[in-house]
Amino acid sequence: MKQRDLKGPHGTTNVVEETVRNPNVMPSPYSPTIELVGVSYGYGKDLPVIDDITLSIPQGQWVTLVGANGCGKSTLVKLMNALLPKGEGSIKVKGLELQSDTIGKIRQTIGMVFQNPDNQFIGATVEEDIVFGLEGQCLSIEVMEERVKSYAARLGITDLLYKHPSELSGGQKQRVAIASILSMEPEVVIFDEASSMLDEKTRNELLNILSDMHKSGRYTIISITHDAQEIAASERVLVLHEGKLIADRTPTELFQDEKILEMSHVIAPFAFQLTRELHRYGLDISIPNCEKELMEALWPLHLRK
Amino acid sequence: MAITFEKVNYEYDANSMWSQAALQGVNLHLESGILAGIAGATGSGKSTLLQMFNGILKPTSGTVQVLDITLRGGEKAPKLHQLRKRVGLVFQFPEQQLFEDTVEKDLCFGPINFGCSVDEAKERARKAMEKMGLDESLLSRNPFQLSGGQMRKVAIASVLAMDPEIVVLDEPTATLDPVSRAELIQLLHRLCREEGRTVIIVTHRMDELLPFANQWVILHEGRTVFQGTVKALIEQADQMESYGIVIPQSIRYWRAISEKFGLSGEDPCLSAEAMSKRIAELVSAEDV
Amino acid sequence: MSEKLLIGRTIDTGSWVHSIDPRAKMIAMMLYVVIIILSNTWLEMACVVVFSLAIIALTRIHIKYFIRAAKPLWVLMLFIFIVQCIKVVDKNGAILLSIGSWNLYVEGFKLGLFSVLRMVFLVSFTAILTFTTTPGRLNQGLEGVLKPLKVIRVSPDRFTLMVSIALRFIPSILEEAQIILKAQASRGADVRELPWKEKGKMLVSLLVPVTVGAFRRAEDLVHSMESRGFRMGEPRTKYHSLVWRSRDTIFIGFFIIMLIAMVWMSGYGTGELWTL
Repeated sequence: MKQRDLKGPHGTTNVVEETVRNPNVMPSPYSPTIELVGVSYGYGKDLPVIDDITLSIPQGQWVTLVGANGCGKSTLVKLMNALLPKGEGSIKVKGLELQSDTIGKIRQTIGMVFQNPDNQFIGATVEEDIVFGLEGQCLSIEVMEERVKSYAARLGITDLLYKHPSELSGGQKQRVAIASILSMEPEVVIFDEASSMLDEKTRNELLNILSDMHKSGRYTIISITHDAQEIAASERVLVLHEGKLIADRTPTELFQDEKILEMSHVIAPFAFQLTRELHRYGLDISIPNCEKELMEALWPLHLRK
Repeated sequence: MAITFEKVNYEYDANSMWSQAALQGVNLHLESGILAGIAGATGSGKSTLLQMFNGILKPTSGTVQVLDITLRGGEKAPKLHQLRKRVGLVFQFPEQQLFEDTVEKDLCFGPINFGCSVDEAKERARKAMEKMGLDESLLSRNPFQLSGGQMRKVAIASVLAMDPEIVVLDEPTATLDPVSRAELIQLLHRLCREEGRTVIIVTHRMDELLPFANQWVILHEGRTVFQGTVKALIEQADQMESYGIVIPQSIRYWRAISEKFGLSGEDPCLSAEAMSKRIAELVSAEDV
Repeated sequence: MSEKLLIGRTIDTGSWVHSIDPRAKMIAMMLYVVIIILSNTWLEMACVVVFSLAIIALTRIHIKYFIRAAKPLWVLMLFIFIVQCIKVVDKNGAILLSIGSWNLYVEGFKLGLFSVLRMVFLVSFTAILTFTTTPGRLNQGLEGVLKPLKVIRVSPDRFTLMVSIALRFIPSILEEAQIILKAQASRGADVRELPWKEKGKMLVSLLVPVTVGAFRRAEDLVHSMESRGFRMGEPRTKYHSLVWRSRDTIFIGFFIIMLIAMVWMSGYGTGELWTL
């Protein structure tokens, strides 16, 4: 949270002006699901952690939030859900202004999955953990039973329902966390570095879950991540740097902009890195999706010569 | 030889009804001065293996030899103080072990425990900071006020301050951002290359370590299923999936290139820079 | 490993005892304590042993788990046994064993043995409660049993929330403490190899990180609970509501019959015949 020793260039506000007004990323003819206007937040007299952020996210969009550790990403999403006291500016969720009397309603709309798989496991069994939020919504037993059954099945954890968290792996716990959140049927789901403590294979599984969620069209997804694959799968990337929103791009645009990459501490997928390096040798090929595509692009060059 | 394991078994709670085999018949040979990567899916026994390198865990049966110290299963272990001084073990999320009110005191904790004088310990603390690329001015700071990345480096420095011959790290880059991860791996690589220390890194992100490691060990369900060079690893890459490991992109691309251009005898180029250079050579080679 | 911790661990065999209402089990355990205290003669103790083993058999959980539960207390038990044996000097009583000028009296031996048996059965038997009841149901049971406290304005749901969070996180925190212990040992501070005066310093190097870690967990947990809409005191429905069924009454019935038998035996002095 306190890391401000980044060497990146300053004075990039003009980038924001350009990108925020970029019509490509503002496709919303409807009222946006999340709308932030001039949001700032700080701890005491320190530099603000969040500095005058304005953005809007339409229903159904999959947005990734990137930036170096300590740039304020986590603070920003926690503000949306009132997990931190209100700062300056206005936050609207589905047109509803975030105020002390709307917190309950807004938390029903937004679900959050956190980084540490163990620390967010509230119940003593998987079933209890899923039910924890449902009980708070005062649902009837029949509805709860139905939800537990269907969401456990959707996330493939039906066999684990009566297990204690100590019997589960990190990846399984994250699935439970997602099932617990989705069973509350939120419209917005925020993933706060939810994949960063998982191994690569489980991370891919989580990515599949996110893709399925996105395809269903029911959820607006905001995901904080450093994972290149996860960024690539999303529709839109917001880059935070020292509490400011410095870029709003598509993943492909981000991966090709070295300056923004450096400021956001993101490393592009291997294919992008390789293509960029090949450019230096005068080999212009488009970015391959897999190794076969690379070979198809290289072979003609090879034969021509 | 820095580390040799012979038919090492390890069981948790060996004498109870909950005994669980974590390692089974592990054989391992790691030379001095190398950078070795250990990979394996969750629960494959990686963390258990690491804790045997400095005698935190002792083999249930089999022989573990680290430097000139031998631990045999079933025998009473010798005093481990010397071993721990020479083998620095960095646990996962090492920043969670910091406890002093200044960085300097935390860095001096290890050296003083191993018998250094206060002045000597301070000197070592300063050197360790330098090795981790940290500014000396941080020494007087409270470790809990540092950023996550800095705390991680301070915690690693607190082990380096013991001046160990072998440095063993359990997923040192976990939860760091990619740039900080790459930077940390480079610092660790420098420890190996410039100071000749043996560095052993457990990772579940093989790609970030591939360009640097000269040896790889793959564990699967408590057994060593692979041990060898990167080149040998690439030849057997197809089996990696069955061990629960995702084949890194760089290996996929290199294999495709090597197949197409017939480079099977060559040392692999696994960083984007090296690979593109090699491709450029190959593509233009026909010209000449 | 956390496997060693039997606290809060359920061993599911799907037995009849598992299905009993946790409130019934808690009341039964209280009755059992009284039964144990009342058993003063060989006959009474024999009845308790048979009764306890019968109930344990009903749980279909292997007896070794129950033995395991009492095992950590063996030093204390041995101590009590020895003290009881030495303490009783009954000049007119029968002597069981003589070593030099010291006599072991039957009465002393009996007292010692009874104390140990009582402890073993108390600990092992009450383990039935945690072995056969999931922590969640245990909590609900606790909430039910504590309901009368509402009269004196103590809120049972706050208390049970506290208990459930403690049960959930104590094993995790202990595991974390173990890792920190190992990490500090790797930095040359091994509890087993350090001289006594150094152990104090060791404690600081352990306590600070564990405390910091516990607070970090607490913060994460609060965020997780709040983002799932939890607010203290807000109305909630219950997923598993407890329903008192006839089997629960039958279960308690066993204990009541046993208790009456105990009172009757001690009252009529039937046991006297068996006291030797």
